[in-house]
Amino acid sequence: MSTTTTAASSIANEIQQEVMERKPFSIVAFLKNRWFLYAISLTAFFALWKYVDYTRVLGNGIAAPEKVVVAIYRLMIDTVAGKSLWGHTWASLNRILIGFAIASSIAVPLGILMALNRYVNAVVKPVFDLIKPMPPFAWISCAILWFGIDEPSKIFIIVVGTFVPCLLNSYMGIRLIEPQLYDVVRMLGGSRRDEILQVGFPAAFPAIFAGLQISLSIAWTCVLSAELVSARSGLGFIIIQGMQLARPDFVLAGMVVLAFWAWATTLIVTYLEKFLCPWKRETSLA
Amino acid sequence: MAYEQVKVETPLVLRILPVASILLFFGVWQAVVELKIVPNTMLGSPTQVMALFWEKLFEANPDGAVLTTHAYISIIEAFTGFFLSLIVGVPLGLLMGWFALAEGLARPIFELIRPIPPVAWIPLTIFWFGIGIPGKVFIIWLSGIVPCVINSYVGVRMTSPTLIQMARTYGATDWDIFKKICIPSALPMVFGAMTISQAYCWTTLVGAEYLAADQGLGYLITMGRRLAMPTMVLLGMICVGLTGVAIGIIIERIEKRLLAGIRR
Repeated sequence: MSTTTTAASSIANEIQQEVMERKPFSIVAFLKNRWFLYAISLTAFFALWKYVDYTRVLGNGIAAPEKVVVAIYRLMIDTVAGKSLWGHTWASLNRILIGFAIASSIAVPLGILMALNRYVNAVVKPVFDLIKPMPPFAWISCAILWFGIDEPSKIFIIVVGTFVPCLLNSYMGIRLIEPQLYDVVRMLGGSRRDEILQVGFPAAFPAIFAGLQISLSIAWTCVLSAELVSARSGLGFIIIQGMQLARPDFVLAGMVVLAFWAWATTLIVTYLEKFLCPWKRETSLA
Repeated sequence: MAYEQVKVETPLVLRILPVASILLFFGVWQAVVELKIVPNTMLGSPTQVMALFWEKLFEANPDGAVLTTHAYISIIEAFTGFFLSLIVGVPLGLLMGWFALAEGLARPIFELIRPIPPVAWIPLTIFWFGIGIPGKVFIIWLSGIVPCVINSYVGVRMTSPTLIQMARTYGATDWDIFKKICIPSALPMVFGAMTISQAYCWTTLVGAEYLAADQGLGYLITMGRRLAMPTMVLLGMICVGLTGVAIGIIIERIEKRLLAGIRR
């Protein structure tokens, strides 16, 4: 087994790498090929899933993969509570977008302001520190008591859940800028305004975006738990409906669609970040 | 020394403002309830919450258990899930970081399961385990394992290549390098995983207890809602928040103690 960490920074290294890669075909190398392993792993996963369903180890608690596909297809055509799968997906997505937009448009400026102005910080930080440790789920009960079980309560939960990482990351983003960068601007005769616009924002941008990224995944969890508790539409509603009807294929279908959308939205934000902030150093692994 | 440490005196205003802000927050909260701007069916005042806290320490009604029992159950569940996720997640992540075989086999499944929010597993968990403690532990375990795997993986991957090459030059085997270089150099990241994973576990706990519970802090909050007692909801939230902070501090202490000898 070889490490792939050989730095190809010089020509000598590149040639060495090429020589290392030009190997004769061998069974062992083929078996250790990454894509081959991935294929084995996925096959094993689905086979196990199918097997568990087949043997009824979990009783009626699981549906075979192909039944889940059928369930997704049926949900797309038929309607549950007046909406097809697309309608429910859009219902969830819509809540996320509204909540996310409200939270980020308040939290990001507030976080930046807190980092730049000591007085704002002194006023807001203690109250924020009080609210910070409460898990977003804990707000569901409050939201229902305050806003009923309609749309506003779900959006409120998303706003509360996403607010914290947004604010925290924009605050830390500005605070953790290397002071040397400011020194450069000051040395070149920049004003406080230049400091903020030329250094503060660009340097804090990756951190702010990371905050948005975290918020987005929290938003999916929030909307889901809100819908699980009470809803008439949304992916969480499909899942809970499947549970009440004892139909694990519906539950799994909801989970699969949910996973897909959570993954897709994260991907969109990642690409948006690459596009908007090309100066970010590549630090995200895994 | 290039720079001299200068002690800057914070202005009086900046020392007063935080206190004033907190006092104002509680003052407004109390006033809003006292003056019936917000009805008492929607919000309880801080003093009412304090009173209920004292009462709930000894009185099991109306939700069936005293506060300490709720807290005890929650902590037991959260910690069981947390330790299980550490026991499974950290070795898995470490192995995935170093051995291509482990990565090739575990990564696709991990990537498939990762984007599903742990809360989404609740219905399936109820099918599988019923509404007892194992189901909740399973959900907490799911939420805790993700940061464990990712951080251990990244920790191994960030091992300085120089060290690995050096060891290889001296004829170390893969297993030796993994054991003597990768694991120690990944330790700070692994402890980072502990902190994150603990926070995730504690957050998910409340979610898990929402749908399926008969005891626990999350259950206290749900019961508060069902009985339309906002004071109880608030009490539950505050207990969850405070306990979470306390656990966080303890974990941080342990981390500092254990990492004392390791250079970052």
